[in-house]
Amino acid sequence: MDLLEQVLEDYYHAVFDTDREEALAVVNSALVEGLTPQRIIFDVIIPSIRRMEGELVKSNNTTLAQHYVCSKVSSEITDRLIPLLPGSDLSRGTVVLGTALGDFHGLGKKIVGSILNSNMYKVVDIGINVPPEKFVSAALEHKASVIGISSMMVHTSRGPGGAKGVKAILEERGLEKQIKIIVGGAPYLFDSNLYLETGADAWAPTAIDAVEALNKLMEEIRLDS
Amino acid sequence: MTAKERFGSLLTGQLPDRVPVICNLFEQGAREMGLSIKEYYSRGEYVAEGQLKLAEKYGHDNLWAFHHTAGDAEMLGSRFTAFADDGPPNVGDLILRSESDIYNLKITEDILDTKAHREVSRTLEILKEEKGDEYPVLGAVVASYSMPAILIGMEKWMELLYLSSDRAAVTLLEKCSEFCRIKTKALFDEGADMVVYMNPLASAEFITVDRFRNDALKWIKKDTEATGSGGMVYFNGGGPINPMIEPLMEATDFPVIYINPHDDVAEAKSIIAGKRILVGTFNDIRLISQSEKEIQEDVDRIVEAGKPGGGFAFGTLVMPLAIREENIRLMIDRVKEKGRY
Repeated sequence: MDLLEQVLEDYYHAVFDTDREEALAVVNSALVEGLTPQRIIFDVIIPSIRRMEGELVKSNNTTLAQHYVCSKVSSEITDRLIPLLPGSDLSRGTVVLGTALGDFHGLGKKIVGSILNSNMYKVVDIGINVPPEKFVSAALEHKASVIGISSMMVHTSRGPGGAKGVKAILEERGLEKQIKIIVGGAPYLFDSNLYLETGADAWAPTAIDAVEALNKLMEEIRLDS
Repeated sequence: MTAKERFGSLLTGQLPDRVPVICNLFEQGAREMGLSIKEYYSRGEYVAEGQLKLAEKYGHDNLWAFHHTAGDAEMLGSRFTAFADDGPPNVGDLILRSESDIYNLKITEDILDTKAHREVSRTLEILKEEKGDEYPVLGAVVASYSMPAILIGMEKWMELLYLSSDRAAVTLLEKCSEFCRIKTKALFDEGADMVVYMNPLASAEFITVDRFRNDALKWIKKDTEATGSGGMVYFNGGGPINPMIEPLMEATDFPVIYINPHDDVAEAKSIIAGKRILVGTFNDIRLISQSEKEIQEDVDRIVEAGKPGGGFAFGTLVMPLAIREENIRLMIDRVKEKGRY
């Protein structure tokens, strides 16, 4: 097993075991042994996130607690390594994230935000219980191309305080082609057509799917412009 | 056979006339009463009347002496519950903001002398008086393993459990467990026929089976040590629990295990193997937009998997307020038709 394979294996097992200290130690020792920050992000951290998501989807073998630890540690390490990368701006784009108005559940959003951050997206987390106008104003302020709206309750996913309200404002101001909406959260897992009702442009069942969905939305926006 | 006799048959290992239906209708009661959800929950009398109207309207087999989870946070001093017009309330004020708040949190029997609990007790009292002979009246408690989420927030709870302080996490679990024991005992003393034990954070959505065996299970045992778990329903709370059923049955005597829509009913039935009563659960979020045919197919799938040999009830999960009345009726009527023995 070469150095990269060993680091990948050790890092994955550390986050799988929800062992933050061990994960950080693996990365520190990899840096000392000469693995570049770029390879650590793209060949260790991101593949580990994908592997964990894969386990969740295929074999239901991982849990939200493991995802939480994995996302948190991955984001922390990525933040530390980004300044060491060559090239000044590797960001894939900016996303504003929050939970719908009336919804006080923040864990899912936090996991998604950390995974997006680890995948080189700039994430502006505007918190929980966010009114639709605030989503739009934050997106404009931070020049975000995508608004991500998390809901853990059925009524906050379908109601005017969530994606529906945000979409109405975007349409009213003619912004719907330059700012897209992605949704996620428990109710969507029980009904995969629910996002269509909300007017969202995409939904994602897991954080890693959110990365893929976001990549597609970014491409659509680029083509539209 | 009354609803109560139906459950009585199940609990004594006999076949009832048909599969009983547990329907988790809560905020729908406010509509029946013509009240806002906030007003509805302000008085135990309103909720009791709402529950009675719902049972009469839809013909399901249980009454709920439960208001909302945010009420448990109110019992511990949460000052703001965020009410909506179209769904259940949220905890709007987390009472624990730092680790020191955890150490300072006091759990005493005074929690029972709060408006939040008094109103629930009033609902329970009225339901027992009015229809206690006909229906099982269910109370509910949040498990210690899950309760920190409504006191300190889900993220901070995960952080305490996995990333930072074992001491703070264990202290908080001890206190939540004390809360759970006091509340469970009170509900039984006040007349609840069964207490539903809600433990979403110990589901397979959140933790591994190993963690369930080695950690969550000891708190489940602790939570139920004052009353025993013999009168309680183990409720998934939102995540799948099939992988947890075996260890749960080895270590506790919950007579009823209430699985998640994402759990396979036939698999649960085979794990339980007649040793407990199984509640197979309908995906009621889809019920918002389903056609009659889709509802019938989903009901049939659950009933066909769970009904043979008895020991089975049909259950729902969150019953969003957006579900049309006719769809609720279609679901319940179909269970009654297909669930006949």
